[in-house]
Amino acid sequence: MNDEQMRLSKNVMADGYGLIAAAGYINNEGGQAIADAATDLISNGCGTLLIDLDGTRIINSIGVSILLEIMEKLLEDKGQLAFCNLTPTISKTFEIMGLVQYATIYPDRETAQTDLVGDLSV
Amino acid sequence: MEVVLHLPVVPNVELVAAKAVETVGGALGMHQTGIEATSVAIVEACLNAMEHGGGQMVVRMSAEDSNGKPSLVIEVEDQGGGFDPTESPRNSATRVHGCTSKRGWGLTLIRELMDEVQIRSNPGMTLVRMRKYVENAP
Repeated sequence: MNDEQMRLSKNVMADGYGLIAAAGYINNEGGQAIADAATDLISNGCGTLLIDLDGTRIINSIGVSILLEIMEKLLEDKGQLAFCNLTPTISKTFEIMGLVQYATIYPDRETAQTDLVGDLSV
Repeated sequence: MEVVLHLPVVPNVELVAAKAVETVGGALGMHQTGIEATSVAIVEACLNAMEHGGGQMVVRMSAEDSNGKPSLVIEVEDQGGGFDPTESPRNSATRVHGCTSKRGWGLTLIRELMDEVQIRSNPGMTLVRMRKYVENAP
């Protein structure tokens, strides 16, 4: 089950835009790790957050409920939350639990970054 | 084919059940998306059993043909106080934003992700039985 251990990185990619890459099991601990990273990025001025879930295959409702709390925090500050690299089942779970009503879903990181902040390589 | 797991209440034990789904579903020829959906459903069933079941849970998996179609049938049984399944919450995505409590999605996810779900519950025993069809089996 080592592949379910959460591996997480966070970076300020551009002015006001933060990226969290999270791979592993999104349960209460994994969800909280993402929430902590999000809180840190928000406090550093990131109003737009992209969460890349490449490598995340399994989640539970407790973990997703913590992601919903991040979404609410960003919405209160008129920020924006986006996800990319979701498996079909994670995408469907987000849809069932209402996350997709308030967050944008992108197929991959490049598409997300281009849409959110433009081409960062330029 | 039948797999029976007796699972203690320890952190992340639900992943043992999910790993068994991956193995058994793969052996049946289930598509990866079906395996992942079934894994999330069994994780939710195990979490409910751990939270409300009052001790060890039993997980059974078996291959069954239903109406000529192969399927994976899973049962999660606990010995908790039971509940009335007709009174269990059916959450809606529209009630999420601004709602104080974001918990209680387990049964909703199970019902949405699996093809058939039956719940029998009495004081001392709750059984969640769910089926996922192996759509691309040879």
